[in-house]
Amino acid sequence: MQHVTLYDLKETFSEEGILICFAGPFSHSIIEELGNAVKSYLEGEQLTKASLMDVFSIFIEQTQNVRNYAELKAGEGNTDRDFNSGIVIIGKNEENYTVSSGNFAKREDVHNVVERLDMLKSLDKRELKAAYKDQMRREREPGKGSGLGLIDMSRKTSKPLEYSIIDIDERYCFFSLKATV
Amino acid sequence: MDSLKIEGTISTPDILFDSDSGVLSMSGESYPENSFEFFKPVLSWISRFMTAHKGEVTLNTHLSYLNTGSTKCMMDILDLLEEFHTRGGRVTVNWFCDEENERAVETAEEFKEEVTLPFHIKAVKEE
Repeated sequence: MQHVTLYDLKETFSEEGILICFAGPFSHSIIEELGNAVKSYLEGEQLTKASLMDVFSIFIEQTQNVRNYAELKAGEGNTDRDFNSGIVIIGKNEENYTVSSGNFAKREDVHNVVERLDMLKSLDKRELKAAYKDQMRREREPGKGSGLGLIDMSRKTSKPLEYSIIDIDERYCFFSLKATV
Repeated sequence: MDSLKIEGTISTPDILFDSDSGVLSMSGESYPENSFEFFKPVLSWISRFMTAHKGEVTLNTHLSYLNTGSTKCMMDILDLLEEFHTRGGRVTVNWFCDEENERAVETAEEFKEEVTLPFHIKAVKEE
């Protein structure tokens, strides 16, 4: 902490509408604890039960995605980047809540995710439901998740999932995903 | 065959499958660190139970949240029950959810669409 004071950070958070932020390694128990905190916080807000559940479930899917990706990379022996260290933010702008997460990734891995996100962007809610059901019936690929996370998030957002990629070097980038409920 | 009992945690449901009565109960939230690993013994229990069991089977679920990994595992559970049903077994699912939470009701309906066995959505008032 040399260039920024906690006060500045806090001010930036409130200017940006950031309600909850966590940065650091995502462990399963941190996900559980933060999930509870998110839920209690939202219970105090004017929010329908369905919207509260949407924000909570997107939070869980995003943080578990980061964690699963980190586990996968650790299993492949990739230890030169701290894949498990990420950031997750719950924000509010006017009417909408946003859930965003960011983590380091290999550039080639992000390529696949981006392709999938661009494909999902073109689907309406009915097509997303069909894609979800289709994926639910697919055989699980060893070492991978259910393949449902991005589709599920897309079904719960009021606009398509947004992403950004900041290249760090030739091999790595920082990948961010934003969902607006 | 022994009953199956798994104590719930913040992210895993309470599970009680009674082999004598054929009543299988699941309640709580489900977003385990690894859904597939968590549900593996659950699925294998149901699988073994279905081959030996002659009487009626009832699955009662009261799950307020399922992450996508758990959703996929729940589909596997329903597939096993559906198989039992198509073989002529008597099986009923009672899916409890919060009537004020349209998302929870939708989730129930989507599971129901996937099977032909008697599947009752019990939308109840919750706190």
